[in-house]
Amino acid sequence: MSAAPLVDLKNVGRTFDVSKPWLNRVIERRPRQFLAAVTDVSFGIAPRETFALVGESGSGKSTVAKLTVGLISPTAGDVIIAGVSMNDPRRRAERQRLRRRIQMVFQDPYASLNPRRRAAAIIAEPIRAFGLIRRRADVAEQAHELLRLVGLDPADGDKYPHEFSGGQRQRVAIARALASRPDFIVCDEPTSALDVSVQAQILNLMRDLQDRLGLTYLFISHNLAVVRHMARRIGVMYLGRLVEVAPTAELFATPRHPYTRMLLDAVPDLEMTGRPRKPVEGEIPNPIDPPQGCAFHPRCPFANARCRAERPQLLPAGAALVACHGVEEARL
Amino acid sequence: MTQALLSVRNLRVEFPTRRGTLVAVDDVSFDIMPGEVLGVVGESGAGKSLTGTAIIGLLEPPGRIGAGEILLKGERIDDLPPERLRRIRGRRIGMVFQDPLTSLNPLYRIGDQLIETLLTHTKASAAAARRRALALLAEVGIPAPEARIDHYPHQFSGGMRQRVVLALALAANPELIIADEPTTALDVSVQAQIIALLKRLCRDHGTAVMLITHDMGVIAETADRVAVMYAGRIVEIGAVRDVVKAPLHPYTVGLMGSIPKPAGDAPRLTQIPGTMPRLTAMPPGCAFHPRCPRAFAPCPTQRPDLKPHGSAQVACWLFEPAAASAEAGG
Repeated sequence: MSAAPLVDLKNVGRTFDVSKPWLNRVIERRPRQFLAAVTDVSFGIAPRETFALVGESGSGKSTVAKLTVGLISPTAGDVIIAGVSMNDPRRRAERQRLRRRIQMVFQDPYASLNPRRRAAAIIAEPIRAFGLIRRRADVAEQAHELLRLVGLDPADGDKYPHEFSGGQRQRVAIARALASRPDFIVCDEPTSALDVSVQAQILNLMRDLQDRLGLTYLFISHNLAVVRHMARRIGVMYLGRLVEVAPTAELFATPRHPYTRMLLDAVPDLEMTGRPRKPVEGEIPNPIDPPQGCAFHPRCPFANARCRAERPQLLPAGAALVACHGVEEARL
Repeated sequence: MTQALLSVRNLRVEFPTRRGTLVAVDDVSFDIMPGEVLGVVGESGAGKSLTGTAIIGLLEPPGRIGAGEILLKGERIDDLPPERLRRIRGRRIGMVFQDPLTSLNPLYRIGDQLIETLLTHTKASAAAARRRALALLAEVGIPAPEARIDHYPHQFSGGMRQRVVLALALAANPELIIADEPTTALDVSVQAQIIALLKRLCRDHGTAVMLITHDMGVIAETADRVAVMYAGRIVEIGAVRDVVKAPLHPYTVGLMGSIPKPAGDAPRLTQIPGTMPRLTAMPPGCAFHPRCPRAFAPCPTQRPDLKPHGSAQVACWLFEPAAASAEAGG
C-alpha cells in the first residue's frame, strides 16, 4: 500500500458478556462468561481500494463491520478513519463531521428499509440528518438523482419497500448509503439474500459506483467467488482472528494458511475440472471456549505440538501476511 | 431401456385465488432413472420447490395439482388417498429440507425420531430398530453415535443436524430422495462435507436423488443431469456437463454468466436485465422474452415447448429450425 490508509484498524478486539443473570450465577456457582467475538484484528484500507473479509458463520466478520462503522465500540485497540480515532473522547467534534463520510449497506434489504416510508423519504433521510441540503425541493431533486444513479426510475421514489423486488430494495439501500456523499462504505453480505442473476446486477452496480464516485469499500462476504470478483485484497477470518491477509490474485493462486486452503478446496467446482479434493474435516469450534494455541489446530492436518500450545502471529510470507507456525517454519 | 423410477408428466401446480387461478408450475415433465441424481436449478419463484412438494404430496392448500401425472415405477401416486401416499412417503421416497432445525422435532431425542421412522416403515423390532439407528448415525458420520443417539436436536451443530436429517431420509432405504436446498443454510466447508456424504450414500445404496437448489456449483459437483426452471417451466434439461459448459437456452446462458467464476478475471459479470415475472403478471409467449437478449418474432406471442436438441432438451424458438430460419431470413 503506497497511499496512507483511509481506514486503519489497530489491534481491534471486542468481547461480549454472555454471562447468565446475577442470581443464576450465584445459585449455580458459575463465573461470568465472555465471548471474544473479535481479537487483535489489524488492517488498513487505502483510498479507492476494496478490502474484503471472508469467513464462515461465527468468524467475527460482521462484528468487524459494526466496529468499523462505529455501531459497536471496541473493547481493545482502535479504529482510525481519515486520521481520526473513532474512540478518542477528545476528538468528538471531528468524529461527528466524519460520520457523514462513512455508510453501511446491510445484508437483508427486507429488514434494513423502514416498511412505512416511501423510497424517496428513506433516501432523503441522511441528507436531512446531516443538513446537507436545506430546501425541500432540492432534497427531493437529489433523491431522484440518487435513484437514477442506482438504476431505478425517479418515479419509484413514491413506492413503499414492499413494492420492490429484493434486488431493487438493495438498490434503494445503496442509494440511501450514497445520499450523504460518503467516501467509505461498509458492505456486509450485500448480495447473499439475492438470486444469482440479481447478485450480478448489484455487484456490477457497486463496481461502477466505485469508479464514478471514488468510493472505498470494506466488503464482507462468505462467498469466495464474489469476494474475488470485488476485492483487491482479502483478509480471511477464523474464530475472531485474521489468519491470512493477501492480495486477491495471490490468495487464490497460492493460499498459504491451511484454513484458507481448506476453504478454497471446499468451493463447489463449477468448472468441472474433476480436480482431486481433500475432504474437509470438522467444524468451527465454540467461540466461548476456543482451542488453546492456534484456534485452527484441531482441524489442521499439519498441526504439531507448537500449534497446540502457542498462538501464531500474523507474519509476512511473500506478499501475504499469515498467522501459521507451519508457514513461518517453512514446513508448509 | 430401463423403466424410469420417477416420471413426472405435464405437471401443473395452481393456486386458486379470488382474482383467478395462478399457475406456479406449468407443464413440467421429466424422468429420474434408478440411481440417478437429477439437479433442479432456478431462482426464487421458479417453481422448483413446488415441483418437489407436489411429487411427495405435501402441497399446502390452496395449492393443488391442476393437471398431469406423477408415476413411481409406472404407478400413479398423485391420485392416491392420503393414507396410501403417507406409506410411500418416507418408505419409498425420502425427503431432506433446507433447514435442518425445522425438519427435526425439537422435543424428541434424535434416536427416538429415527426409531419411530424405522418402526413405522419397516417390520423391525424395537431393539433391531435401535441397532439400525446407531448404524445409520455412524454411516452419516456422527462421531460417537452411542452417546449422541440420546441427544436433542439443539445439541447438534447445523452440519451435524443435516447429517441426522440425511439418516432419517435414508432410514427406510428409499428408492428416491428429494433434497430441497439441503446445503443452503450451511457454511461452505460444511456444505462440502454434506455434498460428499450425499454422493457417497446414494452411490452405496443405489438411491436416486432429485436435488433442488439455486446453486449451480452444487449441481455441477453432484448431479448427473440438470433441469433449469424459469417462471414455472423447465427451459432446458440435459447432461450436467453440457448445460454447465455449453448452455443452450438464453436464460441458462445468462445464469451461468452471472455467477462470479473463481478462475475468471472479467471486470464485469454478465447480467440478465430485470427480474423474474410475478405469477400475477406472466408475460404471454415465452416467459423469458422481456429479459431475453435474443428474442425475435415468435417469442412475445407463442410459447415454445421443450423439444430435443442434440442430447439435451430446450424450450426456445432459437432451436426450432423453422422459426430460426425465419429469423435468419427476416
